[in-house]
Amino acid sequence: MLSRSVASAVSPVSSSSLLQNSKPIFCLKTLSGYRSSSFCGGSIRKINHKRLRMTSSTMTPRAMATQQLENADQLIDSVETFIFDCDGVIWKGDKLIEGVPETLDMLRAKGKRLVFVTNNSTKSRKQYGKKFETLGLNVNEEEIFASSFAAAAYLQSINFPKDKKVYVIGEEGILKELELAGFQYLGGPDDGKRQIELKPGFLMEHDHDVGAVVVGFDRYFNYYKIQYGTLCIRENPGCLFIATNRDAVTHLTDAQEWAGGGSMVGALVGSTQREPLVVGKPSTFMMDYLADKFGIQKSQICMVGDRLDTDILFGQNGGCKTLLVLSGVTSISMLESPENKIQPDFYTSKISDFLSPKAATV
Amino acid sequence: MAPQLLSSRNFKSLFDSVDTFLFDCDGVIWKGEKLIDGVAQTLDLIRSKGKNLVFVTNNSVKSRRQYAEKFRSLGVPSVTQDEIFSSSFAAAMYLKVNNFHKDKKVYVIGGEGILEELQIAGFTGLGGPEDGEKRAQWKSNSLFEHDKSVGAVVVGLDPNINYYKLQYGTLCVRENPGCLFIATNRDAVGHMTDLQEWPGAGCMVAAMCGSTEREPIVVGKPSTFMMDFLLQKFGTETSRMCMVGDRLDTDILFGQNAGCKTLLVLTGVTSESNLLKEGNEIEPDYYTSTVSDMMKLMESP
Repeated sequence: MLSRSVASAVSPVSSSSLLQNSKPIFCLKTLSGYRSSSFCGGSIRKINHKRLRMTSSTMTPRAMATQQLENADQLIDSVETFIFDCDGVIWKGDKLIEGVPETLDMLRAKGKRLVFVTNNSTKSRKQYGKKFETLGLNVNEEEIFASSFAAAAYLQSINFPKDKKVYVIGEEGILKELELAGFQYLGGPDDGKRQIELKPGFLMEHDHDVGAVVVGFDRYFNYYKIQYGTLCIRENPGCLFIATNRDAVTHLTDAQEWAGGGSMVGALVGSTQREPLVVGKPSTFMMDYLADKFGIQKSQICMVGDRLDTDILFGQNGGCKTLLVLSGVTSISMLESPENKIQPDFYTSKISDFLSPKAATV
Repeated sequence: MAPQLLSSRNFKSLFDSVDTFLFDCDGVIWKGEKLIDGVAQTLDLIRSKGKNLVFVTNNSVKSRRQYAEKFRSLGVPSVTQDEIFSSSFAAAMYLKVNNFHKDKKVYVIGGEGILEELQIAGFTGLGGPEDGEKRAQWKSNSLFEHDKSVGAVVVGLDPNINYYKLQYGTLCVRENPGCLFIATNRDAVGHMTDLQEWPGAGCMVAAMCGSTEREPIVVGKPSTFMMDFLLQKFGTETSRMCMVGDRLDTDILFGQNAGCKTLLVLTGVTSESNLLKEGNEIEPDYYTSTVSDMMKLMESP
């Protein structure tokens, strides 16, 4: 049974902070194995899929109701660091959200530390740094923590041997971060071109030195990669199965939702019957990492995000204050729906509400 | 009760108490494109003793007609289409018994077999193998379109899985009101070739669960949905049936759920140690190495 990560000033990044099965609590029903449909009315025994361990009890969302942010100054003064999600908070697709540059400047002028934590693994920190720059924002690469970076940082934290390899089902961002961290990798977008033919006598070989398979959002996903990753996980002793994140959908373009990393990770869970170690939100790995790196107390942090089951849960799991913005995927009706169990401390329409002294209209 | 190794001591009582033998295919009858040794003769011998044969496969890549063709090409021409219950057929039948409207469409992440069975049942299928060639575009001003009249997404084994199909299926399930999410089966791996295991439909289905945050309706084993059709055809009781399969969590569970006797063979995905290890909760009534052991037991005095 995994223990909930404890906010401790002392501990460096430890594996207990890595939630093994960080699926959001209201997706609980997807964890319980498949229900076999009983159309002929007979009594059906539920399948006991041991692989799907129920770890939801480790993530108990706060039960207290959320409040609309009325006094932004009070919130700002009460914390030292703001962690911002990116998609739906800072930008939407390639468009900056209104009022963002002034808000970030104001917070910096007040001496606040700013950190950006995104589950999007397609780019490296350096590439994100460029995106911020292109949008006219003053953000340093060292302030950005993408889940691509998190995967490499995790492997470093466990002293993953440099003579072992990493098989990547994901995009360039992951490859770049692994390279920067000095790890050998295989796979990535190029394997999207590989075809297989299922005929007699055909055997797919795989590298026995692969010690970890990292799975993230992958627009070049195919059967070759699934099989390669599956063989490594099932047959290489001790091979790790790491997921950058499990977001169901993502805003690749601002106009609509797109199937997210949760899909690719789901595929590997389906074929290996194993649950991955998740390094991205809502796992607190990145929170522990940056708290340790910058020497920050978690109670001095406010997490600002647009998604309840990743951003807000991340903040709550880490013991920080949480602020939901409605400029992204979550609407007020979703927040207030009786089915929603995740209650951020505050909510507001967008981060530039920090600039107005009174409560913004939501 | 612990599974009994099939032997001359228990075979006769099993054989005499059963009118219909249900066989899984992958790992029992064939492995990829190779018939397992002794299977053809064993099936003929069982038939000659007056028993019925039925083939229940979770593999949705082919239709019943295509499976009959496979049997014929592998040297078992006696097996007819009517004796085969593939999960591709099950998906089409599920829509039929639930009165799926003919003006709604079905998006298929899977093989030809599903499209063919849908067509035979009078439904309009979209997607399937040809969407394996399609690529999604993600520019600011372009929208990934999907047919709003899709009322069901059927997901099965798809070696041509790609992002386009996952996105299409995801949008249908998430955005078309009342859209059904049907899985032909959820087998994790299978012997798609004779030399090794490959990811099964369980993989594509789980990918869709990951993006839709929904659980599918499963029509293949271990769901007993297909059993309804079998019972209609043979008018027999399930207690006089024996399910022969290689996989505990689909074949054997299917048999147990329906009240049949169960026999596990070790020519497929399950080894003797998997079966007998502590922690395994699915125990067949009997087990044996291979289907042709039945022939030896039938012939011995």
